[in-house]
Amino acid sequence: MRPPITPIAPRPSQYGIDPSLVKTRVAELPGMTSLTLRELFPDLPSVIFPSDEGVSAVRRHTEQALSNVDMSRIKPDHKVNILSSHHGFTLLGGEPYAEMLRTIRDVIEEKTGCSNIRLRAGVGLRFRETEEYIRRYKLDEYFKGKARGVAPVDEGVAIETEIGTLYGIKRIYDADWIVHAHNSDVREVHFHRMVDRAVKPFGMSYARIETRSTYHQNLGPRAANFTARAIFDSPYVQDKFAFSCFLTVAPHGILGVDADNNLYSLNDRVTEIGCRYYGKMMTLFGEIDECIAALDFPCPVVYVFSAGVIYANFVAANTDLFDLSMPLPAYTWYTEAFYGRKGRPLLPDIPLLNPAVKMCLHSYAWIGYPSAFFSEHIPTVVVGQAQADLFNRDPQNLTYMKHAVISENTEAAMDFARKVTGTDKVLIFDGAPGGINLSKPLADLLR
Amino acid sequence: MKLITVMPVVDLEKCKGCKTCVKVCPVVAIGMQDKTAVIDVERCRGCGDCEQRCPEYAITMALRDEPVLAKVDMEGLDYDEIAKLCRAAKFHPEQVLCYCTATRADEVAAAIMQGAKSPDDISYMTGMRTGCKVECIEPILRLLEAAGIEPKPTPGGWQWYGRTITAWEIPEAVKEKYGARGFYFDEDIELLNRIVNAPLQGKE
Repeated sequence: MRPPITPIAPRPSQYGIDPSLVKTRVAELPGMTSLTLRELFPDLPSVIFPSDEGVSAVRRHTEQALSNVDMSRIKPDHKVNILSSHHGFTLLGGEPYAEMLRTIRDVIEEKTGCSNIRLRAGVGLRFRETEEYIRRYKLDEYFKGKARGVAPVDEGVAIETEIGTLYGIKRIYDADWIVHAHNSDVREVHFHRMVDRAVKPFGMSYARIETRSTYHQNLGPRAANFTARAIFDSPYVQDKFAFSCFLTVAPHGILGVDADNNLYSLNDRVTEIGCRYYGKMMTLFGEIDECIAALDFPCPVVYVFSAGVIYANFVAANTDLFDLSMPLPAYTWYTEAFYGRKGRPLLPDIPLLNPAVKMCLHSYAWIGYPSAFFSEHIPTVVVGQAQADLFNRDPQNLTYMKHAVISENTEAAMDFARKVTGTDKVLIFDGAPGGINLSKPLADLLR
Repeated sequence: MKLITVMPVVDLEKCKGCKTCVKVCPVVAIGMQDKTAVIDVERCRGCGDCEQRCPEYAITMALRDEPVLAKVDMEGLDYDEIAKLCRAAKFHPEQVLCYCTATRADEVAAAIMQGAKSPDDISYMTGMRTGCKVECIEPILRLLEAAGIEPKPTPGGWQWYGRTITAWEIPEAVKEKYGARGFYFDEDIELLNRIVNAPLQGKE
């Protein structure tokens, strides 16, 4: 039996419990094993990270990708904002994304003579998250005191678009040029549905609350990501847009770095990567008949991931997120909104959450994303009183623990989950690089 | 409905009087006195926006001695009128509008019928928009507009700027131009219309 892969370590953060309180990782429990993704899908391409070369491979590939990018409009006396988002820092420990950001800075300075290069780091719903990453990766020092986190409640700027006025974060755009530094990891397929995935941050982590609310409340589940395109295509943004640089990501690691002056060309390439490599993982996970989903990663409940698939997509793995003829996945915010007072969908054709998830074992996951819908509809056991207390104080999760039970430790929680569900199949969402940590019966099924 | 369990505490030594907390507070519960922030704890809904955006890290969230319940009682109101207002704003009355507090459209409509005139009134009365503070501003503005109310943003504040487009208002030219890119505008409108007109499930 192959031993489990070392999971991503807990991180000190105001959004999670103290890492010293995470006594046992789920992967350390008896009976756990691992599968490498290459074992499951031998056609997966080689990766540059993780590899023997380490993070220097990211620098080398970023320099290579940027050598084909036209930066001639950036002059030495200009200001440049490199736009980044929290998500990249959650990939493979975060260092590859941090190194790509450092390299972009260095290449711009070298090619253009411009040194007024600032890092702007957008967030999801945890407004200090990227401040934590800036400190962790010493990015403020690297950017000479010019790195800062921005949030959707910060001062805004009105942006005139083809669909009327939308709003961006003023500090995102307070430069002559913006550089879109992101990654191709598909992450929230339930939201963007792989339509303009590369453009999404313009409607999300770079955007104000009005725009994000338009996305999640006003347009509908398959038109939502148009907010991003509308903002990106606006004359205001086009006048400032210099180029994009992306880590290209597959479920087993970083494939390389892609950069382009034309975001839509880059978007087409990353869409193909997303469909090709993540589609098969999601299809495979959709074939799991029953399991305990164990959350064990320094991220909010929805974003913990296994083989590149986030928990929010696993609970909807009974539906094909890539199929646009299906309006609503089993989980997306529009779906959640359409559950009536009796706890059932308002329409009979709205799919229910993946019935294969018999229980959620919440070993270690963060606050800072509304997650009560999950504990309300999936039996949930949370490890440790400290974690329960943290959720009870989070304004986004005040009722999460109303529907969950608490276990003293991970061992007891797993024992409870196995007895109650009657299944020995355990899928661990701990970000294991290059593979999946899971129980042997589930490994046998997936093989 | 929201049970408020926490409240902000300002460290007067650290506060530099920058007013960021004043500008972001969704219920407009923060003012300035002697160049430091003063919080109206009774009005505060415990969202933590001030704590999360203070550049000086001068605000912490502390547990309240007694939790406070923000909830609009629909007793005595005509539910048909509540439902009518929700549907005029193109929401199902039981549709969840705030994913953090699970506030439904009917509670917001009831707040408006009980006198709410602005997003901060609605947040104060229902607790909505005091969780993540991000995703539910537009439904509030849509419901106020459907009730014939035109709120004005707080001068100098960053709480909200304006109502934006809905699915029903997307220009035909935009639909034609981008429909082939995978944006299902008309199909989503059809879904949203079915939701708006779906039967009520009834009270809890």
